[in-house]
Amino acid sequence: MTLEGTGYRRLKPMKTLGEILDVAIEFEQTARDFYSGLIPKVSKQLRYLVEELAEEEQRHFDLFSEVRARPDLESQIGEMVETPASDARFTDCVHLPELGEKPDDQEVLQFALGREQAAIEQYSALAKSTPPGPIRELFNFLADEETQHKNELEKIYYEVVHSGGV
Amino acid sequence: MSVRDVIAPFTAWKNVFLDPVSIKDPINERPGAPRYRGFHQNDMDKCIGCGTCETICQNGAIDMVPVEGQETKDGDSGLRPRIDYGRCCWCALCVDVCMTGSLTMSNEYQWVDSDPDVFRFIPGAEKKSWDDAELGYRRPEGHAIKPGSRVEMGEVEPEARICNFDEIVDGYSIEQAVLEADRCVECGLCVATCPTHMAIPEYIAAVREGDYEQGLRLLYDSNPFSQVCGRVCTHKCETACAARHEGDPIAIRWLKRHITDQVPIEKYTEIIGAPDAATGHKVAVVGAGPAGLTTAYDLARKGHEVVVFEAQAHPGGMIRYGIPEYRLPYDVIDSEVAVIEAQGVKINYNCRVGVDITMEQLRDDYDAVLLTIGLHLGRSTRIPGSEHSMVTKAVDLLRDITAGIEVEVPRRAVVIGGGNVAMDIARSMARLQKQKYGEIGMTVTALEDLDHFLADPEEVKESFEEGIEIFDARGPREITFDKHGNLTGLKTWRVTSIFDEQGRFAPSYDESDEVDHTGDMVIEAIGQMSDVSLLGEELTEKLEWDRGRIQVDKAGRTSEPWLWSGGDCVKGPDVVHAVADGHRSAASIDSYITEVKS
Repeated sequence: MTLEGTGYRRLKPMKTLGEILDVAIEFEQTARDFYSGLIPKVSKQLRYLVEELAEEEQRHFDLFSEVRARPDLESQIGEMVETPASDARFTDCVHLPELGEKPDDQEVLQFALGREQAAIEQYSALAKSTPPGPIRELFNFLADEETQHKNELEKIYYEVVHSGGV
Repeated sequence: MSVRDVIAPFTAWKNVFLDPVSIKDPINERPGAPRYRGFHQNDMDKCIGCGTCETICQNGAIDMVPVEGQETKDGDSGLRPRIDYGRCCWCALCVDVCMTGSLTMSNEYQWVDSDPDVFRFIPGAEKKSWDDAELGYRRPEGHAIKPGSRVEMGEVEPEARICNFDEIVDGYSIEQAVLEADRCVECGLCVATCPTHMAIPEYIAAVREGDYEQGLRLLYDSNPFSQVCGRVCTHKCETACAARHEGDPIAIRWLKRHITDQVPIEKYTEIIGAPDAATGHKVAVVGAGPAGLTTAYDLARKGHEVVVFEAQAHPGGMIRYGIPEYRLPYDVIDSEVAVIEAQGVKINYNCRVGVDITMEQLRDDYDAVLLTIGLHLGRSTRIPGSEHSMVTKAVDLLRDITAGIEVEVPRRAVVIGGGNVAMDIARSMARLQKQKYGEIGMTVTALEDLDHFLADPEEVKESFEEGIEIFDARGPREITFDKHGNLTGLKTWRVTSIFDEQGRFAPSYDESDEVDHTGDMVIEAIGQMSDVSLLGEELTEKLEWDRGRIQVDKAGRTSEPWLWSGGDCVKGPDVVHAVADGHRSAASIDSYITEVKS
């Protein structure tokens, strides 16, 4: 019996593509709501940061929602996809924002970077465990989106925390 | 008639079979000699538009003119020489003096045209047949009108300086300064690069002529922190210096210091002159650093009453509480500030705005308020273990050392950071270790590799000389502890790259290359920020912000019409930029209070 046999497949954690996309959308939605909720709480000089984060998460939410609604993916939305080891951490990130009421800029950035990293790992692992085809391309696309956002955050982190390079 | 007379003409026939000595087509077949001084060539990319050729030309045949496609930037005026062949005598002095070797002469000497105006042309910009000529006149190898090497600055030897905080730079003697000043060609490229546009060629000329009073007058026209900048300026002017293309740049910073060293401090105020008559206007300045005190100086000279509120016991701000005494002696700052106070500026020490007096009170009691609060809070890496009591911030330690507060001196300490602050704290702690234990144990770990250190190369060199270990390209991972919870050092990974292809901060590490740096204390020197808590919630909300910093316009004015801000808290750390900010704010405040408040 090979590893790809039916028994093994039953034991492996699997989700449908639709379920995965729903979690991804929820991931962006909770982040957007979280950052939006922070806007009135943080001091005005930090507000630009949480506003930008909320806008970026809204952009991702819209993008991922569009992907979810794509007609060409409709036939594949029920396809079973193997979920990677990073799935639990990713799901935690959806439900458990771990940031206090009055975070400073560095805390906000480190939190955001952590979430982006979890998302990159999740989508990259999903792409890796999916056979070549449109679904893998979709996961690669999502991983790429999150990587780009993380890179932008890294740049802001350097400017803010390593201020002036002193 | 003799027979000889009859035969003689026919003897010429013997030359029929010889090669002719005349040139059949002299216009096209007679090239100039290999080192002939013909029409000019100019390598447009190499030329920096310094205008030295224009200055030296005895016939006034060269004009520096703008050229399409050549942009003005630091170290390049964007101008290029235009030669007037109605005046040029082909002496080639312009080639001999060219600071970059861009200007040369081809061996082409023929140019026929009926329009006389074309003989005034810009070599390199207007295509000519001789542009690529390999022969012609070039400045001979090794020939230079000025010496290429700068006069070396004397320093106290590392063994002698590591046990104290005495100033380590000697300063130039008069003879050394004149020699160094003599290397300057007065092109003035440095002036554009200097944030406060000091009259550099003119004050260097004053050194050459031994007219130190004139030199000091020129310095204080644009910089009331000339003694300070003569020691710790970032001297970007030297990166624009034309002399750096074929040797060392002129030691502009050291020449500035030399002038201030030569004039007795008692004469400063007399040379600078008295302030204008009192105007009756009052301005409050928060923070007695270079930006705040420059504004105070300018406004006091215009006759306005200026009161400075300083939280610390002494003036200087970041330059006193952030720069160690061996680089900038406190008495230099004090004498600098005494000159400013002599213009009528009042400084209230130990007066913390936000605690002892509010911003609202200042707004109500003064015609204008300037906020120059520096970057006194240190950033933390927040790596695991960084909350431990033996993990400290460099700015806090430096401030305590300056204030004379006893600091804990461990036998071994590890610094995180590769900028000037990291070097400052490592070298300060090394001195304290030497005094306490007779030996030093300082390690610096930095993300950057040595070639890309943020600290000045001199600081890095001097740190090495003083026995400080520097580990470059190391990323901090965690603080390490023994089983009793005592701090044992810092664990780092090797940095494989800091920035991605687009130049964005994206550090990546080789986790297999791990190093434990032993230390009883870890000092973080990664970045700084302003303490804006003095503003209070209401003013913080009212103000507009620019990515975490107070938003100001070009003149330094905030969104609140009565409030200006500048210096490190707005522009980041740099003394001479703070001085430039101070001037801008002063000009803006002056026009506001004289036009609006009168």
